Amino acid sequence: MLSELLQGTDTGAVLIIQDSCSYSGQHLLKSFISAALNKLHFHSAYTDPLGWTNRSAFTVHQFCVEELTHLLKQTSHPKPVTLVIDSLSWILRHMSPPAVCKSLQQLKKGGAVRAVIGLLHADMHQRGTVGSVCHLATSVITVAPGTKGDEAVAKITKRSKLGKVTQDEEIFSIKGDFSVTVVSKTSHAGRRQTEPEEQQMDPTANLTFNIRLSDTEREAKEKLALPFVFSKEKKTALLQSGPGSGRILYEPDANDDYDQEDPDDDLDV
Amino acid sequence: MFTELNSILNATPDSFTQGEFILVSDRQSDASFLIHHFLSFYLRARCKVCFLGLVQSFSHYSAISQRLGVSLTQAREKGQLIFLEGLKESLSILIPQETTTGSQAMDFLRDPTVGLQRLYEFVRSSVSSDGGGEEGVEEWGPPVLLVDDVSVLLSLGVSAGAALDFSHYCRATVCSQLQGNIVMLVRCHGEEAEDDGSDEGSEWLLKGLTHQCSLTLHVQGLPTGYCRDIHGQVEVCWRRRRGDGQHTQKKLFQYKVHDKGASFFAPGTSSAVL
Repeated sequence: MLSELLQGTDTGAVLIIQDSCSYSGQHLLKSFISAALNKLHFHSAYTDPLGWTNRSAFTVHQFCVEELTHLLKQTSHPKPVTLVIDSLSWILRHMSPPAVCKSLQQLKKGGAVRAVIGLLHADMHQRGTVGSVCHLATSVITVAPGTKGDEAVAKITKRSKLGKVTQDEEIFSIKGDFSVTVVSKTSHAGRRQTEPEEQQMDPTANLTFNIRLSDTEREAKEKLALPFVFSKEKKTALLQSGPGSGRILYEPDANDDYDQEDPDDDLDV
Repeated sequence: MFTELNSILNATPDSFTQGEFILVSDRQSDASFLIHHFLSFYLRARCKVCFLGLVQSFSHYSAISQRLGVSLTQAREKGQLIFLEGLKESLSILIPQETTTGSQAMDFLRDPTVGLQRLYEFVRSSVSSDGGGEEGVEEWGPPVLLVDDVSVLLSLGVSAGAALDFSHYCRATVCSQLQGNIVMLVRCHGEEAEDDGSDEGSEWLLKGLTHQCSLTLHVQGLPTGYCRDIHGQVEVCWRRRRGDGQHTQKKLFQYKVHDKGASFFAPGTSSAVL
């Protein structure tokens, strides 16, 4: 699914790449840029986004539909463009989330922009903010570091126009020229977890001795009476002493009469 | 300058990656020994260094750098080092006298809500080389900004968002425009809390700076407790693709600070153990 998203986004699509401190989503964003290169124009708001040096081309406070459309019209490109935002977190730090969501929604519907791709740092905002922005998106890709060195895991949620939601999880790696290779697809994360458990469950395989029972052996085993199980026959045998068995006769002796509380009881004083 | 750390970071005073934003952070530990390393490293590399010393006086850094073989007073006289003594400047703002002119860099102490624009302007004027080609003015290498440390700004009333804006502007000017390097120290106290981003404290500032930087060095105590021969562990994390094609992103080392340097070794290979 990742390759489909890379090849082209539909009109009115909003794609959000969520990343965290452990893995940067910038590489994937650059892959999207290089894939969409024929429909892209670069506006730098990097050097002076707050107007500190009075030399800014575009400040963060100009992030609203009117200003953006004005900026995009200056490029005089015949086709509608793909708008890539790096990063949405920067804008969310300076403008209120409802205003940003409103602008994104208007961009989604409007005609000046064909598609919007944004990078969002999920660990920099409250969960509610992240949730609201992702709710607007038609596709959300959450990237996280993978198990091997240069691989990463991408969890993709895609909403089609008809309302159908598809989710997918893929392992991908990005090469030096920003092309993405999907290493494998895991449709359920849970399946990977049960497989090693199943392998652990059979220690009786590959043994050098035989621990299996044949049928006659099993019958004999079940018939065997265990020595200390108190069955009825054993009880009667113990209570009634058989003929010729030894009997114990006991007559109390004076020496056995030991009183624990009075140890001097046997003194003959 | 710690030679072992240079080989870990694959950098020598003659050749190092330019345009790098290095973030040094610590949690319940003291990572300032790394600041001394980078200060002596970049001075040896003949770079123009702008040092924002907000927590210690100039004589403190000077004494330690002397042990590492670099003279800060000489560098300042030659014009290679521009040192902002935050402690002294803040006194002149808090107790204004008629004779003090001083730079406007610490103006945020008067009103922390204004932000760090003045501090940025100080940095910009320090690192941009004055043109002219005067006689006797030495040509220094790419500019380097060292900040010790950013989290003290939070205790002075500056919001974490303003600190992130300041670091963004510094990065745009120093790293991208002038192809220089930045080293910033951030200190966190307490455990790594799972706060929702609502509390904009030092943890949030650390996350924001981590997203901006290209290399992080995180210093922590040993998870098993105090050890006399091993002072802690350093986790080095490369966030940008490195030119030499290597893909290792994270490496963990243990370190011990000596009188004249620090030694770094793989976990479990301390000389006290082997």
